[in-house]
Amino acid sequence: MDRNSTGLVFVLPALIVLAMLVAYPVAYTGLLSVTDRQGAFVGLDNFSAVLGARATPQAFWNTLWFVGGSIVFQVVFGTAAAILLNQNFIGRGIVRSITLLPWVVPGIVAATTWAWMFHTEFGIINYMMTGAGVIPEPIGWLTNGSTVMPVLIAINVWKLFPFVAIMVLAGLQSIPNDLYEAARVDGANFWQEVFHIMLPQVRSVIVAVTLLLVIWGLNSITIIYAITRGGPANRTLITPIQIFRLAFESTNFNQAAALSVMFFAVALVIVIIYIKALASTPGEVK
Amino acid sequence: MSEAPTLKRTGLPLPITIIGAIVLVFICLFPFMWMFGSSIKTLPELYTVPPIWWPETPTFGNYYKVLFESNIPRYFLNSVIISVGSTVLALILAIFASYGFARFNFRGKPVLQSFVLVGQLLPTAAIIVPLFITLRVLGLVNTFWGLILVYMIVTLPLSVWMLTSYFKAIPVELEEAAIIDGASRIGILFRITLPLSTPGIVAVVVYAFVTTWNEFVFALCFATDSSVKTLPIGLAEFSTEFNTDWGAVMAASVVMTLPIALLFFSMQRLFVGGLTAGATKG
Repeated sequence: MDRNSTGLVFVLPALIVLAMLVAYPVAYTGLLSVTDRQGAFVGLDNFSAVLGARATPQAFWNTLWFVGGSIVFQVVFGTAAAILLNQNFIGRGIVRSITLLPWVVPGIVAATTWAWMFHTEFGIINYMMTGAGVIPEPIGWLTNGSTVMPVLIAINVWKLFPFVAIMVLAGLQSIPNDLYEAARVDGANFWQEVFHIMLPQVRSVIVAVTLLLVIWGLNSITIIYAITRGGPANRTLITPIQIFRLAFESTNFNQAAALSVMFFAVALVIVIIYIKALASTPGEVK
Repeated sequence: MSEAPTLKRTGLPLPITIIGAIVLVFICLFPFMWMFGSSIKTLPELYTVPPIWWPETPTFGNYYKVLFESNIPRYFLNSVIISVGSTVLALILAIFASYGFARFNFRGKPVLQSFVLVGQLLPTAAIIVPLFITLRVLGLVNTFWGLILVYMIVTLPLSVWMLTSYFKAIPVELEEAAIIDGASRIGILFRITLPLSTPGIVAVVVYAFVTTWNEFVFALCFATDSSVKTLPIGLAEFSTEFNTDWGAVMAASVVMTLPIALLFFSMQRLFVGGLTAGATKG
């Protein structure tokens, strides 16, 4: 056997499994989206039906709002936590471990625990906030249309900022010490080090992590589904949940497939724009 | 990894660091303390205004309910079977694939390597429907094998990525010496490369196990029968079934969190090292 085919043999089993689970279903989605229940070709009927539904644009904006809002705070808090955890202090190891906890626990556990804490009558958050005088009376955080989305974003930020923190921390730890030494010779203070050494040096890590966060954000059904199922009145309905509902609650696989195709296309465009935008501004910090 | 021994850093002022660390720990830990506290409260203690911080008479009644009067133990077992199964399968496939990518050159390698990662980039929601149909055709809906296979999409790409970078870091010379001695490729992989990449293997195992243990959406769609339902689904069910019984829900959450927290903290150093290795190099 020459080297050429030996390598392929090693790689092949994994590729076959992934092809079966990824390539085939993706192709099949395309087919489903242009046919009806009986498998007859119907052109773009499914697409126009889905686009005509009132929930679709609403879900689209909710998704953007949820993903965008989550990512901004995940990156800001995650980076801040990483800089903090890169300082020298007693007990740093244990604080680092504890910081990872929200990321490790099952999403469903995070969702139910926070739902209980945000409970209108018996929740600890209403109690603490009314007690501290932040709000005059208990708020129905998860039933009120204007508070439910920010609350879900906050829970999502809590769940994933630790991931940003460990990745950025790893980046911070790999910054060579001469950079700090040089800055110190020039009399730089802590904040100047943050903005002129740390952030530029971990930029590539932040970029990679943000891309992952975008993808995970577009996938994040668990927290919203477990807490609100898209309600109240579709205020937290995001596209993945709409697809799920179309497929498994209305059992309309063809329309669900059409929505999947559009969702996939939009996700792909967002990812490409993001990569292009970053590639074209190499010098910019953050 | 190491701090400069010679030069003192101009860090944050110590008080600010300490306050920051305390706030961070509070934010990360408080929900778990509240979860545990609620799980040992009696019903009247749970539903009082104002809420009480710590129960006067801690009770394990909620745990009794979860462990002996619900489906949770069964779901726990299902979760163990599915997580172990898919972790083992992902590990085997990833070891071979990573070795192939790390040690051989072949036509189309860059394309195939990016194909592996595409699975990670795909929105889950976009492939649920065809995946469901595929599984139905194969007769794998509501079977352990169905979920074990489906979880390859979630675990395999990153596992291959992590292991490839580990294998690449092992000097080729070690293997070349063995080839001269007449060892086969498989023999080399198992006797030389694998023992040297234990940290990478541990990272993959922890990652795959934690991810599959926590996975919710696929389990929700592909395991609708209680004989194969996993813990996350059980918990979601629990909170609607016993809508008001938050004590039991919190007890179930503790039961579900403990194994994963123990596994993670015992392997944490290896896992974080393996996960971040790729990020800082790239």
